[in-house]
Amino acid sequence: MIKKLFALALSVMMLLSFAACAAKTAEEVPAAAAASVDMSSVKLMQDGVLTVGMEIGYPPFEDFAEDGTTPIGYDIDFAKALGEKLGVTVNFVNTAWDGIFQGIGVNYDCVISAVTITEERKASMLFSEPYINNYQAVVVKKDYAGKIASFLDLNGLSISVQKETTSDILMSDYVSTGSIDATISANEKVTTCFTQLENGEVDAVVVDSTVADGYLASNPDKFVKIFQDESEPEQFGVAVAMDNTALQAAINDAIAKLTAEGFFESNVAYWFGK
Amino acid sequence: MSKLKKLVTFKHWQRSTKTAVILIVAALVLVFVLSAINVSEQDMLNNASPAIKQIIEEEKTSSRKSLTITYNNLGVMNYISFTTSGASAIKESYVGFAGAIYGADEGGWKFAGQMVNYTYRMLGTGENLLHGVKLTLLLTTLSMGIGAIMSVFLALGKISENKLISKISSAYIFFFRGTPLLIQMFVIYFSVPGIFGFSWRSLFSAGDPEAVYKGAFIAALIAFSLNAAAYCAEIVRAAIQSIDKGQNEAAKALGMSYGQMMRTIIIPQSIRRMIPPLCNEFVMMIKDVSLVFAISLMDITTISKTIMTSEGNYLVFIPALLIYLVITAIFTLLFGKIEKRLSIYE
Repeated sequence: MIKKLFALALSVMMLLSFAACAAKTAEEVPAAAAASVDMSSVKLMQDGVLTVGMEIGYPPFEDFAEDGTTPIGYDIDFAKALGEKLGVTVNFVNTAWDGIFQGIGVNYDCVISAVTITEERKASMLFSEPYINNYQAVVVKKDYAGKIASFLDLNGLSISVQKETTSDILMSDYVSTGSIDATISANEKVTTCFTQLENGEVDAVVVDSTVADGYLASNPDKFVKIFQDESEPEQFGVAVAMDNTALQAAINDAIAKLTAEGFFESNVAYWFGK
Repeated sequence: MSKLKKLVTFKHWQRSTKTAVILIVAALVLVFVLSAINVSEQDMLNNASPAIKQIIEEEKTSSRKSLTITYNNLGVMNYISFTTSGASAIKESYVGFAGAIYGADEGGWKFAGQMVNYTYRMLGTGENLLHGVKLTLLLTTLSMGIGAIMSVFLALGKISENKLISKISSAYIFFFRGTPLLIQMFVIYFSVPGIFGFSWRSLFSAGDPEAVYKGAFIAALIAFSLNAAAYCAEIVRAAIQSIDKGQNEAAKALGMSYGQMMRTIIIPQSIRRMIPPLCNEFVMMIKDVSLVFAISLMDITTISKTIMTSEGNYLVFIPALLIYLVITAIFTLLFGKIEKRLSIYE
């Protein structure tokens, strides 16, 4: 009897857990009435819905608003605009960064999550045309007296970077090749880097220029971006599955239309205050 | 009848029980009164500055929504904030407490407001079962339940005289105790669907925007259950083998079969001995659930880390710790009671 009751309780709990799973975090955006991009040959996971995978937790690109459920950020606005152009609704799936690319074509149609287009990644996925350029930048305190005109000027300073990012790899290269002699503190989160800078534990933060712009715009009286390496731009693109050339083409078409409409300039101005 | 009488007669209660009951009732009354006199959501909304009200009006017609209104009601205290996104972010927040509204942009009320907001988010209030505390509790109890049932068979299998069954059970336990839970979860979530050509998401209808999270939950539940079964099996086996051999022999002398002996003599006695280590395992599991961050589920730890990333506020870990402590305290108490009840066998 007890066993039966237990089994019943278990099954009820299981049922409840799924019954209660009504649509919640995933945000639905009403589609524009008419699509302006040809979608006839594009196969989506769910008809009329573009499912976008992203790691929500990388401000200002993707983040949760204070209510903890509304995704906000540059990529969110871009994805919504993309959905409007494609004439589909957009459904955001929050996913961990580890394994995010394995989910393309399985859990979501594409990834829009500040993904840098690299040759290695191109071997296993398709990229759209880049939708924003990113550079490596050096951020210091507003009252910093020295002069930094290249990464070589970081010699002798202590620097903070976010672990396993392009900035981390770049700085480690400079130090390991003996180009500069600097102490590097690698942090889990980029916000930690700025806290260290504020507290005077490090002299400079090396970070993605886009992240720096967003951070500086909300803290204008504390920090200043002293140098930006424009010689090697990184570009962010939409990642789609290797076999989904139709979707890639449709997204590229939509990006071209958005560029023509000046969407990207206004989105950059809105999020990075330039 | 006399028992009931004893229970309802306040005079006969133990001193410590009396104090506890008085304290709890007083706290409940206080909570009730504070909730009853607290300000309503509408009052909080009306309290916004003219600038915010203007934005709200403007946004009714514009396509780009930049303002997020967050309203968190924890009964005793409620919190509202108006935040705009983008480079020139504006933030305005208020805390409602005991019938009055306080600005929560600095000082002590800011701290109070943050605590309400963080606690609300970690409790997953207003969200489905796959969020925050609800996810932690659901995953822990379900996987411990399934694991405990499996573990009885595994333990009996391991001490079985049938060589094959014994070897298989031992191998299972060896494998799941010998590899990290995180990797087991990765294998079940990433590798298994890849090998067998299905996806966890496809277990649910394609039109369900939450299908990815539900799929991840199923994968996590399988991984946690399989893992818990291995650990619990060793607890069960040790408890069974700790029962004096003499009982075993006495049962045989009485002509009982192996099954009869196990069912009526050995297992009832060993259950009491299993409770403390099982409680231990349960409490460990509550915290192990935080590993689900790796497959996109939002438990207490993941939510606190997300808040840390977006706000850079280290205070978020304080309510996280308290929530964990409260959950653990409840279950420790529960297991203590069960253990006491089962002590009659000793």
